[in-house]
Amino acid sequence: MSTSTESGRAAETPPGAEAETLTPEERGWGDYVVPAVVFVFCGVVSGISLTLEEALPIMVGDSMQPRVFPIFLMALIAVLNVALIVQILGRPLPRRLWEPRQTWVSALLLGVFYLLTEYVDIILALIAVMFTLCLVWGERRLWVAALVAVGTTVAIFFSFDLLLEVRFPRGLFTDWYYG
Amino acid sequence: MIEQAVSAMASVFTDPYLLMLILVTTIGGVIIGALPGLGATTGAALLLPFTLTMDPVAAITVLTTIYVSATFAGSITAILINTPGTAAAAATCLDGFPLAQRGEAGRALGIAVVASTIGGIFSVIVLAIGAPLLARVAYEFRPPEYFALTVFGLSMLASISEGGSVKNLMGGLFGVWLATIGADATTGVERFMFGNYELYQGLNFIPVLVGMFALSELLVQSTRLNQIMEQISMKAVKLPSMADYKKIWKTVLRSCGIGTFIGILPAEGATVASMIGYSEAKRWSKTPEEFGKGAVEGVAGAEAANNAATGGAMVPTMVLGIPGSGTTAVILVGLLVHGLRPGPHLFTEQIDKVYSIFGAMLVANIMFFALGLFAAKLFARVTLVPRGILWPIVFAFSVLGAYSLAQSMIDVYIALAFGVIGYLFRRFGFAIAPVAIGLILGEMVETNLQNSLKMFDGQWWQIPLQPLAAFFLILAVLGISQPYIFSALKRRKDKKQGS
Repeated sequence: MSTSTESGRAAETPPGAEAETLTPEERGWGDYVVPAVVFVFCGVVSGISLTLEEALPIMVGDSMQPRVFPIFLMALIAVLNVALIVQILGRPLPRRLWEPRQTWVSALLLGVFYLLTEYVDIILALIAVMFTLCLVWGERRLWVAALVAVGTTVAIFFSFDLLLEVRFPRGLFTDWYYG
Repeated sequence: MIEQAVSAMASVFTDPYLLMLILVTTIGGVIIGALPGLGATTGAALLLPFTLTMDPVAAITVLTTIYVSATFAGSITAILINTPGTAAAAATCLDGFPLAQRGEAGRALGIAVVASTIGGIFSVIVLAIGAPLLARVAYEFRPPEYFALTVFGLSMLASISEGGSVKNLMGGLFGVWLATIGADATTGVERFMFGNYELYQGLNFIPVLVGMFALSELLVQSTRLNQIMEQISMKAVKLPSMADYKKIWKTVLRSCGIGTFIGILPAEGATVASMIGYSEAKRWSKTPEEFGKGAVEGVAGAEAANNAATGGAMVPTMVLGIPGSGTTAVILVGLLVHGLRPGPHLFTEQIDKVYSIFGAMLVANIMFFALGLFAAKLFARVTLVPRGILWPIVFAFSVLGAYSLAQSMIDVYIALAFGVIGYLFRRFGFAIAPVAIGLILGEMVETNLQNSLKMFDGQWWQIPLQPLAAFFLILAVLGISQPYIFSALKRRKDKKQGS
């Protein structure tokens, strides 16, 4: 009758309620990574901003140099990050589980798609990645996965090429198609 | 001007091309809204590249129709499988699903369809009347006022429902920083381009939006592959009975007002509106104890409010260029891409186009009423499409859509990168809509700050001394502090009740 879940991922428990009863082993420290990454990000962006070229005073006038605004933003983010740390300290979160295998493979496929588009062909890359995604996501019938991958790609390719007049970058397939 | 506006709105009803386009897009929107994970924002982001060759009115009609129809359609799965098709339908689950469990799924869907349609039509009327009035006020805005207004828009991110207020503000500021990538608009100094001249004019919005909304959702969905959904069977959608109308009419009217008002507030959207619409319905109900167990007012309150927010959210988007929600952020990009620069001038220079868009929204509301009534059962079946087939197709549309705008591979790589970034944001409890809104507002914030500083010879403190700017900055402070004020008040109330 109802929706039942058995996700491989940790349940997204709202912070607060059971936090006070968590033992040190149950507490998740993964959330502290976020403020650390944010601080590093703010530092790196501010550092890069300081190396930005200075605009001629006549162009800037009474306004600000192009480097000032990004640094100002990073300062604001850093201040908010401190508030975030205070929040996390006040309400420790339960430990998060790692992503299920399919998520890692799907993310990896995004990288594979990048490599294939760069070195092979965008259309062939799309077919290969869609086919693999279908299988990774649980499609057992190879012909269905192949049909989805080839059918969708071909349909979108021709609609883009003929209706929207979009030209795709050169690669194995497009070289053959465009001549 | 009024005549021109009315005739532009009426012209939609007699234009067979637009009517057909709205019908097809409404069907698409209802399917998108019914599929959990594919909401109005993702749908609009995916379809945006396909509108590039259309004329502006048709293109924006596609996007707004997706917006209104997908917002309604989220209720179909909320009621039948207890999984909201869109975040805006989350409140509908609370009473819609218990009604379905009692064998009253058809009644619940009938109430959802009627309430959504009334909410949607009400908000389009408010939009058509209110937007030009606001546009007149906006004529008075100078850079300090626009700067303060955008700050207010960003501050409202603190109170959108997903994520915490601090995280939302951080996401918004990250979005504003993304807008600084490329050459500085005033001086031409290159920022964060790392020698990549394809980024000279900044990040294209479309690949970022496609990545953040569609590809990140793909990764989110990959964590839910083991989720088993069981659908409740339903014979047909039933129109509400007279007894139902008597029970819900006040709730619907109240939610229309709430939804439209919440929608008008920058950055707030249908999700917040539906939550408030639902809680107000409960607060004013004579039988609040029935809420959560299958109260029809609960369904009506949430559904009228979320669809009323659609028209409301279009007001700041079109008049001020400040998105009223995540989906209107995508629509705003559509307006810009098609040369319709949002702002008060839009209402004098392009009034026929603007009112044709409003007319199309009105027609879309009527069409989803008919579709919802007669075909909801059929649309509910789309949830049976296996994820292993649906999401690879979404992937194909995402990458080719990202590519098509500038026909540049860098846009595809940007979409891929933002897919992963968006996923990480969501994984650690950050909402992604603030990033999109920040990105769109970013240039406006910086340019108006620069121009304000030039106006006042570098004396920044002159900005809050301008009355209208001061008003918006005070609202911004209230916007940031209101989640804390409300939680403090709630704690106090709970403490009182406890003692």
